[in-house]
Amino acid sequence: MLKTKKSFLDVELPKSDPRVKLIAAKIKKENYRQDALIEILHTAQNAYGYLPMNVLAFITRELKVPPSRVYSTVTFYHFFSLKSKGDHTCLVCTGTACYVKGAQALLDEIENKFHIKPGQVTPDNQLGVQTARCIGACGLAPAVVVDDEVKAKVTAAQINNIITTKTGVGA
Amino acid sequence: MPKISVKIDDKDLEVEVGTTVLDVCRANDIDIPTMCHLKGLVDVGACRLCLVEVEGTSKLLPSCTTKVQANQVIHTQTDKLKKYRRMITELFFAERNHVCSVCIANGNCELQDLGYKVGMENVRFPYLFQNCEVDSSHSKFVMDHNRCIMCTRCVRVCSDVEGAHNWGIMNRGYQVRIIADFNVPWGDSTTCTYCGKCVDVCPTGALWNKDATQGSMQKYPQAVSDLVEKREMKS
Ligand code: SF4
Ligand code: SF4
Ligand code: FES
Ligand code: FES
Repeated sequence: MLKTKKSFLDVELPKSDPRVKLIAAKIKKENYRQDALIEILHTAQNAYGYLPMNVLAFITRELKVPPSRVYSTVTFYHFFSLKSKGDHTCLVCTGTACYVKGAQALLDEIENKFHIKPGQVTPDNQLGVQTARCIGACGLAPAVVVDDEVKAKVTAAQINNIITTKTGVGA
Repeated sequence: MPKISVKIDDKDLEVEVGTTVLDVCRANDIDIPTMCHLKGLVDVGACRLCLVEVEGTSKLLPSCTTKVQANQVIHTQTDKLKKYRRMITELFFAERNHVCSVCIANGNCELQDLGYKVGMENVRFPYLFQNCEVDSSHSKFVMDHNRCIMCTRCVRVCSDVEGAHNWGIMNRGYQVRIIADFNVPWGDSTTCTYCGKCVDVCPTGALWNKDATQGSMQKYPQAVSDLVEKREMKS
């Protein structure tokens, strides 16, 4: 059998992740235009809080742009970041729907227990908390993404438990 | 093609509209040092070695990207320009690690030649001593970032001539680096076609053939210039 080189671009993203749908929709809306790369990266950065490599691979494949151009763009602008802050992350959506449904109360709860505000990490780098502007799951508001798992209709009473159960941080 | 007259270093010249100052100079035996320029590649004006003075403008202009205009009076060898060319050359040497005596390109290097040409006896800037990577993951070639001067010839030849788009540029300032694909080891690139054009156009010992031994590496940038010319020929 013919052996072909495995490409680092051959990665699958979880199709059920609303953030993936959000990026796919954005790419479609931009008509797969290669010069919409920056706008699409913005959407991804806003949804994830940073740009994970598998997401970059996905965008590269969809737009059919050279990988080096994507990487050049990402490392040129300070707005983009390739690293998540913290070993584990809790991303709280603060888009309109989630905000209305109590996203701020979730952030307050997290701050009470872990003493970190959005954009910060715990001193031991175990947990970072981020916010995003609408991750495309408004029906699940308020939505939270702990590491890679989307949690729906999270209440202030649940949030810290969810974080600890999923990540082990704060046990 | 309509012609215009210009004066360069006291020579009165008739030149075609749309010609760059550098091309006019080269055609008339006026020597201007260049590093990022290579015939056949799109000029980007990155290295600033080819700066010239144009009367009536206080800015220095890169001759490789500046087109001549009618009745311009241009100077290419003033003391000011010579001073800057030498400073730029020293900065090349200070930024990374150019240890000629152990370099694969020793005796076959455009940067080394430039040092001699501008009369660089020493480097007046503190060396950065950056710890740069040597990427030998490719089966045919090696990329030694210690010797790279970021002229981007490799990037342009790979994108515009070969069409492979393997090389890109990451970061900014002194942390800037040439990258393959997503900053992967060159050997893992999914775009490189193993054509070797980047190796041929690289002016220094940054890109070289794996089987080369010290001092034996020969570059052949002219091959790319010729290739581009042949492709543009109407059959
Ligand atoms: S060998 Fe050819 S395809 Fe590969 S990086 Fe160099 S110029 Fe590009
Ligand atoms: S590797 Fe060579 S051709 Fe490429 S930017 Fe560096 S010095 Fe220039
Ligand atoms: S506002 Fe939170 S998912 Fe839309
Ligand atoms: S040769 Fe003109 S700027 Fe480099």
